[in-house]
Amino acid sequence: MLAAGVVYLLAVWLDAIGTGIPTQVLPRPVRFFVQEAALFPHAATEVVEWRVEGWMCAEQHFAEIDVRPFFPIRRDDKESRFYRAMFFHHRERKVMQALDEYIVRRQNSADPERRIGGVLLLSLRVPIPPPGSAEPRYQRLPLSSFPPAIERSYWYITGTEVRSQRCSESP
Amino acid sequence: MKRAPARLGLLERARLWLDEPQPIARLGFLRAAIPLVVLGFLSSRLVHADDWLSPVGFRVPYLGGNDWRQPLYLPAVPAPVAWAIAVALVLAGICLAAGLFTRPAAALFTFLLVYVALADRLEAFTVSKLAPMLSLALLVSPSGARYGIDAWRQARRHPDAPAPTHVSGGVIRFFQVLLVVMYSGAGIAKLRGGWLSSDVLWSHLHDDYQTSVAWLLMRTLPQGAWQGLQILTLAFEVGAPLWFALRWTRRPAFYVGLGMHAMIGLMFGPVVWFGLLMGVLLIGSYASWFVVPQTRR
Repeated sequence: MLAAGVVYLLAVWLDAIGTGIPTQVLPRPVRFFVQEAALFPHAATEVVEWRVEGWMCAEQHFAEIDVRPFFPIRRDDKESRFYRAMFFHHRERKVMQALDEYIVRRQNSADPERRIGGVLLLSLRVPIPPPGSAEPRYQRLPLSSFPPAIERSYWYITGTEVRSQRCSESP
Repeated sequence: MKRAPARLGLLERARLWLDEPQPIARLGFLRAAIPLVVLGFLSSRLVHADDWLSPVGFRVPYLGGNDWRQPLYLPAVPAPVAWAIAVALVLAGICLAAGLFTRPAAALFTFLLVYVALADRLEAFTVSKLAPMLSLALLVSPSGARYGIDAWRQARRHPDAPAPTHVSGGVIRFFQVLLVVMYSGAGIAKLRGGWLSSDVLWSHLHDDYQTSVAWLLMRTLPQGAWQGLQILTLAFEVGAPLWFALRWTRRPAFYVGLGMHAMIGLMFGPVVWFGLLMGVLLIGSYASWFVVPQTRR
Protein backbone atom coordinates (compact mmCIF):
# COMPACT_ATOMS: atom_id res chain seq x y z
CA MET A 1 0.00 0.00 0.00
CA LEU A 2 2.90 2.31 0.84
CA ALA A 3 4.48 1.66 -2.55
CA ALA A 4 1.17 2.32 -4.34
CA GLY A 5 0.76 5.60 -2.44
CA VAL A 6 4.28 6.71 -3.32
CA VAL A 7 3.81 5.83 -7.01
CA TYR A 8 0.51 7.75 -7.10
CA LEU A 9 1.98 10.86 -5.47
CA LEU A 10 5.00 10.76 -7.72
CA ALA A 11 2.82 10.36 -10.80
CA VAL A 12 0.63 13.33 -9.84
CA TRP A 13 3.69 15.51 -9.36
CA LEU A 14 5.55 14.37 -12.46
CA ASP A 15 2.46 14.93 -14.58
CA ALA A 16 1.85 18.41 -13.16
CA ILE A 17 5.38 19.63 -13.73
CA GLY A 18 5.19 18.54 -17.35
CA THR A 19 7.73 15.70 -17.54
CA GLY A 20 5.39 13.56 -19.61
CA ILE A 21 6.61 10.44 -17.80
CA PRO A 22 3.17 9.33 -16.53
CA THR A 23 1.86 9.70 -20.09
CA GLN A 24 4.54 7.30 -21.31
CA VAL A 25 4.29 4.65 -18.61
CA LEU A 26 0.74 4.57 -17.27
CA PRO A 27 -2.24 3.02 -19.07
CA ARG A 28 -4.71 5.71 -20.19
CA PRO A 29 -7.47 5.01 -17.62
CA VAL A 30 -4.92 5.15 -14.77
CA ARG A 31 -3.17 8.22 -16.18
CA PHE A 32 -6.51 10.02 -16.21
CA PHE A 33 -6.62 9.91 -12.39
CA VAL A 34 -3.21 11.52 -11.93
CA GLN A 35 -3.79 14.44 -14.32
CA GLU A 36 -5.19 16.72 -11.65
CA ALA A 37 -2.71 19.29 -10.34
CA ALA A 38 -1.73 21.48 -13.31
CA LEU A 39 -4.71 23.82 -13.11
CA PHE A 40 -5.02 27.07 -15.07
CA PRO A 41 -1.33 27.42 -16.00
CA HIS A 42 -2.02 29.82 -18.89
CA ALA A 43 -3.99 33.02 -19.36
CA ALA A 44 -7.21 32.83 -21.36
CA THR A 45 -6.84 34.88 -24.52
CA GLU A 46 -10.58 35.34 -24.97
CA VAL A 47 -13.91 34.10 -23.64
CA VAL A 48 -15.26 31.33 -25.87
CA GLU A 49 -19.03 31.08 -26.30
CA TRP A 50 -20.34 27.90 -27.94
CA ARG A 51 -23.64 28.33 -29.78
CA VAL A 52 -26.09 26.50 -32.03
CA GLU A 53 -28.15 27.66 -34.96
CA GLY A 54 -30.92 25.37 -36.16
CA TRP A 55 -32.13 24.99 -39.74
CA MET A 56 -35.77 26.05 -39.48
CA CYS A 57 -37.81 23.73 -41.65
CA ALA A 58 -40.69 26.21 -42.02
CA GLU A 59 -38.65 29.30 -42.81
CA GLN A 60 -35.75 27.53 -44.58
CA HIS A 61 -33.00 29.45 -42.83
CA PHE A 62 -30.69 29.15 -39.82
CA ALA A 63 -31.64 30.83 -36.54
CA GLU A 64 -30.20 30.53 -33.05
CA ILE A 65 -31.76 27.90 -30.82
CA ASP A 66 -31.25 27.67 -27.07
CA VAL A 67 -30.03 24.13 -26.40
CA ARG A 68 -29.59 24.56 -22.65
CA PRO A 69 -32.81 22.67 -21.79
CA PHE A 70 -31.43 19.63 -23.65
CA PHE A 71 -28.30 19.57 -21.49
CA PRO A 72 -29.77 20.04 -18.02
CA ILE A 73 -26.63 19.28 -15.99
CA ARG A 74 -25.17 22.69 -15.07
CA ARG A 75 -26.99 24.05 -18.08
CA ASP A 76 -26.00 27.69 -17.56
CA ASP A 77 -22.23 27.47 -17.29
CA LYS A 78 -19.29 25.96 -19.09
CA GLU A 79 -19.63 22.70 -17.16
CA SER A 80 -22.71 21.98 -19.29
CA ARG A 81 -22.42 18.84 -21.40
CA PHE A 82 -22.89 20.88 -24.57
CA TYR A 83 -20.01 23.20 -23.71
CA ARG A 84 -17.83 20.28 -22.69
CA ALA A 85 -18.63 18.32 -25.85
CA MET A 86 -17.79 21.35 -28.00
CA PHE A 87 -14.68 22.18 -25.97
CA PHE A 88 -13.20 18.69 -26.27
CA HIS A 89 -14.53 17.55 -29.63
CA HIS A 90 -15.25 20.53 -31.91
CA ARG A 91 -12.80 19.13 -34.48
CA GLU A 92 -14.10 15.55 -34.17
CA ARG A 93 -16.70 15.03 -36.90
CA LYS A 94 -18.04 11.83 -35.38
CA VAL A 95 -18.94 13.64 -32.15
CA MET A 96 -20.34 16.64 -34.01
CA GLN A 97 -22.62 14.32 -35.98
CA ALA A 98 -23.80 12.67 -32.76
CA LEU A 99 -24.44 16.13 -31.32
CA ASP A 100 -26.34 17.12 -34.48
CA GLU A 101 -28.64 14.08 -34.22
CA TYR A 102 -29.18 14.58 -30.49
CA ILE A 103 -30.04 18.30 -30.76
CA VAL A 104 -32.38 17.79 -33.73
CA ARG A 105 -34.20 14.95 -31.94
CA ARG A 106 -34.57 16.91 -28.69
CA GLN A 107 -35.59 20.18 -30.39
CA ASN A 108 -38.20 18.50 -32.60
CA SER A 109 -39.60 16.57 -29.69
CA ALA A 110 -39.71 19.64 -27.40
CA ASP A 111 -41.15 22.03 -29.98
CA PRO A 112 -42.82 20.20 -32.90
CA GLU A 113 -44.16 23.52 -34.22
CA ARG A 114 -40.62 24.81 -34.71
CA ARG A 115 -38.95 21.79 -36.30
CA ILE A 116 -35.34 21.89 -37.39
CA GLY A 117 -33.60 19.78 -40.01
CA GLY A 118 -30.02 20.32 -38.90
CA VAL A 119 -27.61 22.48 -36.98
CA LEU A 120 -24.77 24.90 -37.36
CA LEU A 121 -22.33 24.56 -34.44
CA LEU A 122 -20.17 27.60 -33.86
CA SER A 123 -18.02 29.48 -31.39
CA LEU A 124 -17.51 33.15 -30.66
CA ARG A 125 -14.25 34.49 -29.29
CA VAL A 126 -14.93 37.51 -27.10
CA PRO A 127 -11.80 39.55 -26.30
CA ILE A 128 -10.83 39.98 -22.65
CA PRO A 129 -10.23 43.63 -21.62
CA PRO A 130 -6.97 44.61 -19.88
CA PRO A 131 -6.83 44.49 -16.05
CA GLY A 132 -8.62 47.32 -14.33
CA SER A 133 -11.13 47.91 -17.12
CA ALA A 134 -14.68 48.57 -16.04
CA GLU A 135 -16.99 46.07 -17.67
CA PRO A 136 -20.54 44.88 -17.08
CA ARG A 137 -21.28 41.67 -15.17
CA TYR A 138 -21.13 38.57 -17.38
CA GLN A 139 -24.47 37.57 -18.85
CA ARG A 140 -25.46 35.22 -21.61
CA LEU A 141 -26.41 37.23 -24.67
CA PRO A 142 -28.31 36.11 -27.76
CA LEU A 143 -26.15 35.51 -30.81
CA SER A 144 -27.67 38.53 -32.52
CA SER A 145 -26.34 40.84 -29.76
CA PHE A 146 -22.70 40.19 -30.57
CA PRO A 147 -21.21 42.78 -32.91
CA PRO A 148 -19.79 41.60 -36.26
CA ALA A 149 -16.29 42.36 -34.97
CA ILE A 150 -16.48 39.36 -32.62
CA GLU A 151 -14.74 36.46 -34.34
CA ARG A 152 -16.98 33.51 -35.20
CA SER A 153 -15.77 30.01 -36.08
CA TYR A 154 -18.10 27.51 -37.71
CA TRP A 155 -17.23 23.95 -36.75
CA TYR A 156 -20.03 21.85 -38.17
CA ILE A 157 -23.01 22.20 -40.46
CA THR A 158 -25.56 19.53 -41.30
CA GLY A 159 -25.48 18.67 -45.00
CA THR A 160 -28.22 20.08 -47.28
CA GLU A 161 -29.58 16.65 -48.18
CA VAL A 162 -29.86 15.54 -44.58
CA ARG A 163 -31.61 18.79 -43.66
CA SER A 164 -34.13 18.37 -46.51
CA GLN A 165 -34.74 14.76 -45.63
CA ARG A 166 -35.33 15.49 -41.95
CA CYS A 167 -37.60 18.42 -42.75
CA SER A 168 -39.68 16.28 -45.11
CA GLU A 169 -40.22 13.58 -42.48
CA SER A 170 -43.53 13.74 -40.71
CA PRO A 171 -43.29 14.75 -37.02
CA MET B 1 6.41 16.27 16.58
CA LYS B 2 9.35 14.33 18.03
CA ARG B 3 12.74 14.82 16.50
CA ALA B 4 14.48 11.70 15.21
CA PRO B 5 18.01 11.16 16.57
CA ALA B 6 20.56 12.75 14.28
CA ARG B 7 22.56 9.55 13.78
CA LEU B 8 19.68 7.79 12.00
CA GLY B 9 19.86 7.43 8.23
CA LEU B 10 17.50 9.29 5.92
CA LEU B 11 15.32 6.25 5.19
CA GLU B 12 15.04 5.40 8.86
CA ARG B 13 14.07 8.97 9.70
CA ALA B 14 11.46 8.92 6.92
CA ARG B 15 10.07 5.65 8.30
CA LEU B 16 9.85 7.14 11.82
CA TRP B 17 8.12 10.22 10.45
CA LEU B 18 5.69 8.10 8.48
CA ASP B 19 4.80 5.84 11.39
CA GLU B 20 4.49 8.53 14.01
CA PRO B 21 0.96 8.20 15.46
CA GLN B 22 -1.43 10.98 14.49
CA PRO B 23 -4.58 12.21 16.25
CA ILE B 24 -7.49 10.06 15.12
CA ALA B 25 -9.62 13.22 15.09
CA ARG B 26 -7.87 14.20 11.86
CA LEU B 27 -8.96 10.98 10.21
CA GLY B 28 -12.47 11.28 11.65
CA PHE B 29 -12.81 14.79 10.25
CA LEU B 30 -11.57 13.75 6.80
CA ARG B 31 -13.87 10.71 6.75
CA ALA B 32 -16.89 12.84 7.63
CA ALA B 33 -16.11 15.78 5.34
CA ILE B 34 -14.62 14.31 2.14
CA PRO B 35 -17.65 12.23 1.07
CA LEU B 36 -20.02 15.12 1.78
CA VAL B 37 -18.03 17.56 -0.35
CA VAL B 38 -17.72 14.99 -3.14
CA LEU B 39 -21.48 14.39 -3.02
CA GLY B 40 -22.01 18.15 -3.08
CA PHE B 41 -19.94 18.37 -6.24
CA LEU B 42 -21.79 15.43 -7.78
CA SER B 43 -25.23 16.66 -6.71
CA SER B 44 -25.89 18.59 -9.92
CA ARG B 45 -25.12 15.37 -11.86
CA LEU B 46 -26.91 13.00 -9.50
CA VAL B 47 -30.25 14.80 -9.88
CA HIS B 48 -29.98 14.18 -13.64
CA ALA B 49 -28.58 10.64 -13.41
CA ASP B 50 -30.39 9.48 -16.55
CA ASP B 51 -29.07 12.42 -18.53
CA TRP B 52 -25.61 11.73 -17.16
CA LEU B 53 -25.14 7.99 -17.55
CA SER B 54 -27.89 6.66 -19.82
CA PRO B 55 -28.81 7.21 -23.49
CA VAL B 56 -31.46 9.72 -22.40
CA GLY B 57 -28.73 12.40 -22.46
CA PHE B 58 -26.06 13.18 -25.02
CA ARG B 59 -23.27 10.58 -25.15
CA VAL B 60 -19.91 10.91 -26.85
CA PRO B 61 -19.61 7.96 -29.25
CA TYR B 62 -16.75 5.47 -29.10
CA LEU B 63 -13.66 7.20 -30.48
CA GLY B 64 -11.59 4.15 -31.33
CA GLY B 65 -9.83 3.44 -28.05
CA ASN B 66 -6.81 5.63 -28.69
CA ASP B 67 -8.02 9.09 -27.78
CA TRP B 68 -6.85 11.06 -24.73
CA ARG B 69 -10.31 12.57 -24.39
CA GLN B 70 -11.80 9.14 -23.82
CA PRO B 71 -9.52 7.32 -21.34
CA LEU B 72 -11.84 4.31 -21.31
CA TYR B 73 -15.05 3.84 -23.25
CA LEU B 74 -17.88 2.57 -21.09
CA PRO B 75 -21.23 2.31 -22.87
CA ALA B 76 -24.31 4.03 -21.46
CA VAL B 77 -26.44 2.08 -19.01
CA PRO B 78 -30.26 1.93 -19.06
CA ALA B 79 -31.94 4.83 -17.24
CA PRO B 80 -33.13 2.73 -14.24
CA VAL B 81 -29.54 1.48 -13.76
CA ALA B 82 -28.29 5.08 -13.91
CA TRP B 83 -30.72 6.03 -11.15
CA ALA B 84 -29.69 2.97 -9.10
CA ILE B 85 -26.03 4.02 -9.42
CA ALA B 86 -26.92 7.54 -8.26
CA VAL B 87 -28.83 6.24 -5.24
CA ALA B 88 -26.02 3.81 -4.34
CA LEU B 89 -23.46 6.59 -4.65
CA VAL B 90 -25.42 8.85 -2.31
CA LEU B 91 -26.06 6.08 0.24
CA ALA B 92 -22.43 4.92 0.20
CA GLY B 93 -21.18 8.50 0.63
CA ILE B 94 -23.56 9.25 3.49
CA CYS B 95 -22.74 5.96 5.25
CA LEU B 96 -19.03 6.66 4.90
CA ALA B 97 -19.44 10.18 6.27
CA ALA B 98 -21.48 8.87 9.20
CA GLY B 99 -19.06 6.03 9.88
CA LEU B 100 -21.77 3.43 9.32
CA PHE B 101 -20.56 0.14 7.78
CA THR B 102 -17.52 2.27 7.09
CA ARG B 103 -15.36 -0.17 5.19
CA PRO B 104 -18.00 -1.60 2.81
CA ALA B 105 -19.36 1.92 2.29
CA ALA B 106 -15.88 3.22 1.44
CA ALA B 107 -15.31 0.29 -0.95
CA LEU B 108 -18.60 0.91 -2.76
CA PHE B 109 -18.06 4.68 -2.81
CA THR B 110 -14.56 4.26 -4.29
CA PHE B 111 -15.75 1.82 -6.94
CA LEU B 112 -18.67 4.01 -8.02
CA LEU B 113 -16.51 7.15 -8.09
CA VAL B 114 -14.06 5.41 -10.42
CA TYR B 115 -16.95 4.23 -12.57
CA VAL B 116 -18.67 7.61 -12.97
CA ALA B 117 -15.37 9.39 -13.66
CA LEU B 118 -14.54 6.98 -16.47
CA ALA B 119 -18.09 6.48 -17.75
CA ASP B 120 -18.47 10.09 -18.75
CA ARG B 121 -15.48 12.30 -19.48
CA LEU B 122 -17.72 15.31 -20.06
CA GLU B 123 -18.68 15.41 -16.38
CA ALA B 124 -15.24 14.53 -14.99
CA PHE B 125 -13.31 17.37 -13.36
CA THR B 126 -10.47 17.60 -10.84
CA VAL B 127 -12.76 16.60 -7.98
CA SER B 128 -13.85 13.51 -9.95
CA LYS B 129 -10.22 12.48 -10.42
CA LEU B 130 -9.13 13.18 -6.86
CA ALA B 131 -12.14 11.71 -5.05
CA PRO B 132 -11.55 7.97 -5.76
CA MET B 133 -8.03 8.10 -4.34
CA LEU B 134 -9.19 9.97 -1.23
CA SER B 135 -11.96 7.45 -0.74
CA LEU B 136 -9.50 4.59 -1.22
CA ALA B 137 -7.27 6.08 1.48
CA LEU B 138 -10.27 6.13 3.82
CA LEU B 139 -11.03 2.53 2.87
CA VAL B 140 -7.59 1.15 3.74
CA SER B 141 -7.30 3.13 6.99
CA PRO B 142 -9.16 2.62 10.29
CA SER B 143 -11.32 5.65 9.45
CA GLY B 144 -14.38 4.17 11.17
CA ALA B 145 -12.63 3.49 14.46
CA ARG B 146 -13.94 6.67 16.04
CA TYR B 147 -16.46 9.52 15.60
CA GLY B 148 -19.05 7.45 13.80
CA ILE B 149 -21.89 4.99 14.19
CA ASP B 150 -19.62 1.93 13.91
CA ALA B 151 -17.46 3.31 16.72
CA TRP B 152 -20.53 4.09 18.83
CA ARG B 153 -21.85 0.55 18.39
CA GLN B 154 -18.43 -0.85 19.24
CA ALA B 155 -18.33 1.25 22.41
CA ARG B 156 -21.73 -0.05 23.45
CA ARG B 157 -20.56 -3.62 22.98
CA HIS B 158 -17.31 -3.03 24.89
CA PRO B 159 -17.94 -0.16 27.32
CA ASP B 160 -14.66 -0.75 29.17
CA ALA B 161 -12.43 -0.65 26.11
CA PRO B 162 -10.57 2.68 25.82
CA ALA B 163 -11.41 4.80 22.81
CA PRO B 164 -8.52 5.14 20.35
CA THR B 165 -6.95 8.58 20.41
CA HIS B 166 -4.35 8.11 17.69
CA VAL B 167 -3.97 6.28 14.43
CA SER B 168 -0.86 4.94 12.73
CA GLY B 169 0.62 7.87 10.85
CA GLY B 170 0.62 6.52 7.29
CA VAL B 171 -2.79 7.62 6.10
CA ILE B 172 -2.54 11.13 7.55
CA ARG B 173 0.93 11.44 6.06
CA PHE B 174 -0.58 10.44 2.70
CA PHE B 175 -3.08 13.30 2.87
CA GLN B 176 -0.38 15.73 4.04
CA VAL B 177 2.02 14.79 1.27
CA LEU B 178 -0.76 14.74 -1.34
CA LEU B 179 -1.57 18.36 -0.56
CA VAL B 180 2.05 19.41 -0.84
CA VAL B 181 2.41 17.45 -4.08
CA MET B 182 -0.69 19.15 -5.48
CA TYR B 183 0.51 22.62 -4.49
CA SER B 184 4.06 22.07 -5.67
CA GLY B 185 2.99 20.51 -8.99
CA ALA B 186 0.45 23.27 -9.57
CA GLY B 187 3.01 25.95 -8.74
CA ILE B 188 5.64 24.57 -11.11
CA ALA B 189 3.00 24.21 -13.84
CA LYS B 190 2.09 27.87 -13.31
CA LEU B 191 5.76 28.90 -13.42
CA ARG B 192 6.18 27.05 -16.71
CA GLY B 193 2.92 28.58 -17.92
CA GLY B 194 2.08 32.25 -17.90
CA TRP B 195 1.86 33.26 -14.25
CA LEU B 196 5.00 35.38 -14.34
CA SER B 197 4.39 36.99 -17.69
CA SER B 198 0.64 37.46 -18.16
CA ASP B 199 -2.55 38.30 -16.29
CA VAL B 200 -3.75 34.73 -15.81
CA LEU B 201 -6.01 35.35 -12.80
CA TRP B 202 -7.69 38.36 -14.36
CA SER B 203 -8.16 36.52 -17.66
CA HIS B 204 -10.20 33.72 -16.08
CA LEU B 205 -12.78 36.01 -14.48
CA HIS B 206 -14.82 36.99 -17.51
CA ASP B 207 -16.96 34.00 -18.42
CA ASP B 208 -19.91 32.24 -16.85
CA TYR B 209 -17.78 31.09 -13.87
CA GLN B 210 -17.81 34.73 -12.75
CA THR B 211 -19.50 35.17 -9.36
CA SER B 212 -20.74 38.41 -7.83
CA VAL B 213 -17.68 38.37 -5.54
CA ALA B 214 -15.38 38.07 -8.55
CA TRP B 215 -17.15 40.91 -10.31
CA LEU B 216 -16.97 43.09 -7.19
CA LEU B 217 -13.23 42.46 -6.86
CA MET B 218 -12.70 43.14 -10.57
CA ARG B 219 -14.26 46.54 -10.08
CA THR B 220 -12.59 47.46 -6.79
CA LEU B 221 -9.08 45.97 -6.70
CA PRO B 222 -6.34 48.15 -8.16
CA GLN B 223 -4.81 46.92 -11.41
CA GLY B 224 -1.57 45.71 -9.78
CA ALA B 225 -3.40 43.64 -7.16
CA TRP B 226 -3.97 40.80 -9.60
CA GLN B 227 -0.25 40.45 -10.28
CA GLY B 228 0.31 40.61 -6.51
CA LEU B 229 -2.14 37.76 -5.95
CA GLN B 230 -0.45 35.74 -8.69
CA ILE B 231 2.98 36.18 -7.08
CA LEU B 232 1.60 35.26 -3.65
CA THR B 233 -0.01 32.13 -5.12
CA LEU B 234 3.20 31.16 -6.90
CA ALA B 235 5.32 31.68 -3.79
CA PHE B 236 2.89 29.64 -1.71
CA GLU B 237 2.55 26.77 -4.16
CA VAL B 238 6.12 26.44 -5.40
CA GLY B 239 7.46 26.74 -1.86
CA ALA B 240 4.81 24.47 -0.31
CA PRO B 241 7.22 21.59 0.44
CA LEU B 242 9.31 24.00 2.49
CA TRP B 243 6.45 25.94 4.08
CA PHE B 244 4.75 22.77 5.33
CA ALA B 245 7.95 21.00 6.35
CA LEU B 246 9.21 23.77 8.61
CA ARG B 247 7.38 24.08 11.91
CA TRP B 248 7.51 27.90 12.06
CA THR B 249 6.14 28.42 8.54
CA ARG B 250 3.47 25.71 8.71
CA ARG B 251 0.84 27.82 10.43
CA PRO B 252 1.13 30.88 8.12
CA ALA B 253 1.13 28.50 5.14
CA PHE B 254 -2.01 26.85 6.47
CA TYR B 255 -3.86 30.17 6.61
CA VAL B 256 -2.56 31.34 3.23
CA GLY B 257 -3.75 28.03 1.76
CA LEU B 258 -7.17 28.38 3.38
CA GLY B 259 -7.43 31.92 2.04
CA MET B 260 -6.48 30.78 -1.44
CA HIS B 261 -9.10 28.03 -1.46
CA ALA B 262 -11.71 30.43 -0.09
CA MET B 263 -10.92 32.88 -2.91
CA ILE B 264 -11.18 30.10 -5.51
CA GLY B 265 -14.51 29.01 -4.07
CA LEU B 266 -15.91 32.53 -3.94
CA MET B 267 -14.72 33.70 -7.35
CA PHE B 268 -15.12 30.79 -9.73
CA GLY B 269 -18.73 29.56 -9.51
CA PRO B 270 -18.86 25.76 -9.65
CA VAL B 271 -15.18 25.50 -8.71
CA VAL B 272 -16.41 26.07 -5.15
CA TRP B 273 -16.49 22.28 -4.66
CA PHE B 274 -12.84 21.95 -5.57
CA GLY B 275 -12.00 24.83 -3.19
CA LEU B 276 -14.00 23.14 -0.44
CA LEU B 277 -12.36 19.76 -1.01
CA MET B 278 -8.87 21.23 -0.89
CA GLY B 279 -9.84 23.28 2.18
CA VAL B 280 -11.10 20.13 3.92
CA LEU B 281 -7.87 18.30 3.07
CA LEU B 282 -5.84 21.22 4.36
CA ILE B 283 -7.76 21.42 7.64
CA GLY B 284 -7.75 17.66 8.20
CA SER B 285 -4.05 17.37 7.39
CA TYR B 286 -2.53 20.42 9.01
CA ALA B 287 -4.90 22.24 11.39
CA SER B 288 -3.41 22.30 14.86
CA TRP B 289 -6.92 22.13 16.39
CA PHE B 290 -6.85 18.33 16.24
CA VAL B 291 -3.72 17.97 18.34
CA VAL B 292 -5.64 17.63 21.59
CA PRO B 293 -5.83 14.42 23.66
CA GLN B 294 -9.21 12.84 22.92
CA THR B 295 -10.99 11.20 25.82
CA ARG B 296 -14.59 10.96 24.70
CA ARG B 297 -15.95 8.65 22.08
